[in-house]
Amino acid sequence: MIGRDRCEAVLSQTLDQPNIREADAYLSVQDLSLTRFASNDIHQNVSHGNAQLHIRVVVGQRQGRATTNDLSDGGIQRAAKLAHQNALLMPEDPDFNGLTIPGAPPQVATHDLDTESYGPASRSQVVASVCRLAEASGLEASGFFRNGTQETAVLSTKGARAYHAGTFAGLLVMAISDTSAGWSKGGSWRIEDIDSDALADEAVDKALRGQNPRTVEPGEYTVVLDPYAVDDMLSSLSLYGMGAQSVQEERSWMNGLIGERAMSPQISIWDDGADLEGWPVPFDAEGVPRQRTQLVQEGVVLDPVHNSYTAGKEGKRSTGHQFAFTGPPVASNLFMQTGDSSLEKMIASTQRGLYITRFHYTRLVHNRNCVMTGMTRDGTFLIEDGQLSYPVKDLRFTQSYVEALAGVEAVGSQSKLVLNEVGFATKVPALKIGRFNFTGVTV
Amino acid sequence: MDDLVSRALDLAEVRGAGYADIRIVRTSQERISLRNGVVDTLSVDESLGFGVRVLVNGCWGFASSHDLTGKEIDRITALAVDIAKASGTLSKGAVDLGPAVTSRGTYTTPIEEDPFTISTDHKLALLMDADQRMASVKGVRSRQGNMVFIKEEKTFANSEGAHVEQTVYEAGGGIAANAVGNNEIQRRSYPQSMGRQQGCAGWEYITAMDLPGNAERVATEAVALLTADPCPSGIVTDIIIGGAQLALQIHESCGHAIELDRVLGAEAAYAGTSFLTTDKLNNFRYASDVVNITADSLRVPGLGSYGWDDEGVPSQSTPIVTNGEFVGYLMSRETATGLGLTSNGCVRAASWNRVPMIRMTNVSIEPGTWKLDDLIADTDDGIFLEMNRSWSIDDKRYNFQFGTEVGYEIKNGKLGRLLRNTTYTGITPEFWNSCDAVCDADHWQMWGTPNCGKGQPGQIGHTGHGAAPARFRNVRVGVL
Repeated sequence: MIGRDRCEAVLSQTLDQPNIREADAYLSVQDLSLTRFASNDIHQNVSHGNAQLHIRVVVGQRQGRATTNDLSDGGIQRAAKLAHQNALLMPEDPDFNGLTIPGAPPQVATHDLDTESYGPASRSQVVASVCRLAEASGLEASGFFRNGTQETAVLSTKGARAYHAGTFAGLLVMAISDTSAGWSKGGSWRIEDIDSDALADEAVDKALRGQNPRTVEPGEYTVVLDPYAVDDMLSSLSLYGMGAQSVQEERSWMNGLIGERAMSPQISIWDDGADLEGWPVPFDAEGVPRQRTQLVQEGVVLDPVHNSYTAGKEGKRSTGHQFAFTGPPVASNLFMQTGDSSLEKMIASTQRGLYITRFHYTRLVHNRNCVMTGMTRDGTFLIEDGQLSYPVKDLRFTQSYVEALAGVEAVGSQSKLVLNEVGFATKVPALKIGRFNFTGVTV
Repeated sequence: MDDLVSRALDLAEVRGAGYADIRIVRTSQERISLRNGVVDTLSVDESLGFGVRVLVNGCWGFASSHDLTGKEIDRITALAVDIAKASGTLSKGAVDLGPAVTSRGTYTTPIEEDPFTISTDHKLALLMDADQRMASVKGVRSRQGNMVFIKEEKTFANSEGAHVEQTVYEAGGGIAANAVGNNEIQRRSYPQSMGRQQGCAGWEYITAMDLPGNAERVATEAVALLTADPCPSGIVTDIIIGGAQLALQIHESCGHAIELDRVLGAEAAYAGTSFLTTDKLNNFRYASDVVNITADSLRVPGLGSYGWDDEGVPSQSTPIVTNGEFVGYLMSRETATGLGLTSNGCVRAASWNRVPMIRMTNVSIEPGTWKLDDLIADTDDGIFLEMNRSWSIDDKRYNFQFGTEVGYEIKNGKLGRLLRNTTYTGITPEFWNSCDAVCDADHWQMWGTPNCGKGQPGQIGHTGHGAAPARFRNVRVGVL
């Protein structure tokens, strides 16, 4: 961390360069330490820090950009000059109306000193403990334990002024036998929230129960999904269509569905960058406060999230979702409404189906209705007569996520925070879905 | 610079490291992207930093910083040593790097024209020209075009005496047209999907693409796909896969599967392991006897081309599949030693702040003997598939499913109707053993994959894949 004062000094110096009339600057400072393990052995153990200064210079309806990690006087001057030159070379963009004038972002306290100062020796002790638990069950553990800090600051000539410092921590455990694997993942902005024993137990239990899987035929099954699998569904729906750019270009799954009840009335989804139950980042890369944005309300698809550019095209205000310095708006702090069920109830109410821990390597097959393909992984079980019958070999699915969410039969009463890349998280419950289409099985 | 290098290596030794290396990397990247006729991004990104990697009591530690000063070199080196000592808490044994690496020299990507000397105006004009030609086609809903130019200057030195300096250039460009209608969304890309075709090359690589000259065709094909017949559903047929798509097939089902760190479990918790376990080396029929696959870091303009890898091992060529037999891995010093072999120079880091790991070089299928026209004429009933649209493979690299942007029916040895939403699926060794024909060198091209994800924390690698169209028998298509 370099601290608020240093961040603001760098940003002020950036905007104070010659020839700059209208500009904004975005500073991202990250320190990340990560201990990685495989086969009950630490095989990578790393620490890195970086500070990236992004400058956008505006000349009329033209904007030029530059990025540097050289925060010296000379480095800042050079980057500002390059951004200005780029702006002058750009053609006018009639849809760009200059920098936005954002309001003040909320203060969200997600910096934890214990998390920031957690060192390699402590991480290694936790990893050793996890591996011992796996080894005691005759399993091998793989995964990582990470912690770090993320500072973001924005300053603009139009009055944007924002600073946030947060910490993060995460433990991923995969327990592996010769014929099975189990998986768990925990994350928080406080390292004390990481219950390493519970996560190890969860992965070990799945791996032990998943041994010697049998093959079941592909086809349509009722599925009960752990929150990890639901995280993939929500992340994919975000990536492939919850941003206004894709809607405006008519390549979003939302196109044609806005205002329609496309999902089960049990499904409500929103994005909230200020909610302490998620992984808060209270403003975006333009310094605009992240608005709580309802995306699906009781199955009805609502409007996508915006940055200032996409909002300007529709005469709206940005919802504060410019995820990175460049690129489209992204819903990255997602929540799904909980229900009144539980994994146990969902399984007990299923005559024949599959219980799935998570999805693997999922990719978009078709934009309409967000048709995805991917594999099940790390704990897939056949449900028969309301009970887990036996573990099964992983299956490939090809399934519309929108249509799957239209067929939701039950929603878990508890939700789990799943931290993915820094700044992107979902908080999701388990789901029971009536029909899910499996198109293949692995060896 | 040499002073800083020595300072890190000397301090690491004093603090107890049995091995140390340092990479100092300066990267300049110019990005230009056009979206529907508007310049979406015009940016220059510059990054400088260093990473220190050490072995203490045979355990790894790595630390890095963007502050290239003597004081920070000291701090980061000490941190790397502390991290390595912490790794010793859980160790199954000391890392053995095998024979010392003492490479010395310099390398620069052979280019004809430095892309950073070409004016931005000229680059923009070329993209604008292509964009306007795509926009002229009725029915096109959105267009994209982009160029990327990278210059990476890297110093590598280790405590065994290696010291190499490299300058690697990359140039990339591409266009895409999206059409919407008839309750469909279709896309065509050129020369490669997922944004662009990229290689270790100069400006000449971009001019050779002729983006404007292909723009109208690409846009027209996107619109035509809206009303094309869908791919036949769930049938088994013969397929001919074009070079661009076959490149990604190689990447996913062969390239990742032969990474020896993955085979040994290092990536288990992320994208998974590999079915190509060490007992299969020189003892497994991966493909039919017409298939020969090579990993080659000397094959410019492939994106896996360099002078030395990030352990200082010289670039080289390694047979991977010879007449269908599995004969080689991509290896690091540590993993090769475990098999009683020596590294074949396949270790790279995505940046100064990432730890080096095994990455694909240029993993390519060697040319066969067929002309494409003859191959089509020899196929009674099948589908020609080209340009990737989606890709997915399981955690052992067995079960895959790919979608392509375009397909053409083959009937009685002739290309027929256009097909949309084409997909195919299979199990890797069964699939490659069904290959009975590969087109010749006239059809062979080096393709770039500048978006290969691996590792935790994540690293984006740049890999090359030479490929020519090839035929596969009895493949399941039309899964949607």
